[in-house]
Amino acid sequence: MNEVTEMTESTDTLCVDDLFPHNWILHHPMYLRMQSLDVEDGAQVHAAFLVYMDLTEVRHWKDVSSLKCPELQVVLLEGREKEGAPMQSILPLPVHQYLNHKSVRTVLGRGFPVLLCVVASDSTLVYQRMTDGFVTPDPPAGQIQDHGRRQHRKRHQQH
Amino acid sequence: MDATPTAELTSTPGQHVVEPLQDGGGGHSTSRRPDPLIGIHLCGSTALVWRTADVRAAREAGVVGSLVGALPRQPRQNGRLGRPLQLGLEELRLLLEKQASGDDIESSAPNSEGEVQQAETECYEEEQRSSFEAQSILALEERKSALLRAMGGAKQGGGTSQPDGGVSGRLEVLDQSFVFPRSAVAVQLRTARAGLSHCSDERTLLSAAQPGSSQRAPRSESRFQVFRDLRQRGYYITSAGKFGGDFLVYPGDPLRFHAHFIAVCVALDEQLPLVDVLAVARLGSNVKKTVLLCSPGGPTAPVHYTSLQWSGMV
Repeated sequence: MNEVTEMTESTDTLCVDDLFPHNWILHHPMYLRMQSLDVEDGAQVHAAFLVYMDLTEVRHWKDVSSLKCPELQVVLLEGREKEGAPMQSILPLPVHQYLNHKSVRTVLGRGFPVLLCVVASDSTLVYQRMTDGFVTPDPPAGQIQDHGRRQHRKRHQQH
Repeated sequence: MDATPTAELTSTPGQHVVEPLQDGGGGHSTSRRPDPLIGIHLCGSTALVWRTADVRAAREAGVVGSLVGALPRQPRQNGRLGRPLQLGLEELRLLLEKQASGDDIESSAPNSEGEVQQAETECYEEEQRSSFEAQSILALEERKSALLRAMGGAKQGGGTSQPDGGVSGRLEVLDQSFVFPRSAVAVQLRTARAGLSHCSDERTLLSAAQPGSSQRAPRSESRFQVFRDLRQRGYYITSAGKFGGDFLVYPGDPLRFHAHFIAVCVALDEQLPLVDVLAVARLGSNVKKTVLLCSPGGPTAPVHYTSLQWSGMV
């Protein structure tokens, strides 16, 4: 008897919870795939999923896939920024964790440009580029004017 | 040996040293060595370089250091400082390493030390003699002119009958009988030479001056390896206290370039909090420098470098 009423109730009103169940992440196919990679660190898997969603839904990256890095026991992502762009590796990590240089070298060893993505507890994502070797910084933009002794003159005027 | 360093090194902006150093060219005994020995003096645990020639030699070896002395003519400011040049731990070690390899050249000198000192003594005495002669001539000239002044004054005031004859007569007397006493000779004390000459003490200092290995923390070892590797690649390095890193790495002399990198030395397996990694990378991007994570692989293994850049993905 109760079951019947419940069923009728649910079919009559279409509530938000049906469209977006509060545990929708757990049912998401990509999340389930990441779970199947058998990485113990649940927080890292969750972080990886958030990065995945950001890359695909917000930034519209292409060919984004997840894989397991056996040496580090983490979920890595790979994807392209645009169609035809080179492949990149993304290392998603929760903010409270630690990073060592050897892990970075391992990910760099895959041969693709590496992005480190740090995930905060409020789902804020911070991306950082990591490259092997010496990367010269961009020179300052804009016109560089030599002001000469202007500073000196300004101070002088004050007196 | 023309060991008179010009003001060339010192007149560039930011490193204004006022006095050019007279290095007492005659007194130096050495034949020209390929790598001049840099005199480093340890004050406690601080390494200092005092002579301008040594500062320049250190610069040519790629060691920048920092000037920490007051300028005698501009003492009440620290915008521009002078010698001594203070060396960092890694810089000191690098120079000692280099000079240890040159020690065999130095050790051949002690045989000739006796002759060297002989030559120096003779040279010194010769200088004293010529100085005495020059000074006695000048003293005589001055006496004569004083006499003339006195005679001229008396003539105007008095109007005596024999002015000219008296003057020339007295001048002659002066010429013949004037003696410049030795005790009145002015002697120049060459402070440049005092205590900083090529004596055996300096050599023993340099050979024994390695800081004890017990004092060396493992972190300072990795810092030194990174420092040496960067130096071998031709970069100039200064300390990066202002930027939260270990070193600032310049593609050339710091006087000509801005730094390109902030080097942070970590061990390969050292765990870094992610927040710190982000913080240092963000700082680097704010000052237009790339953060370089440097890890030495081992005593003989190469150093691994990873550049961190702000991704620009907002």
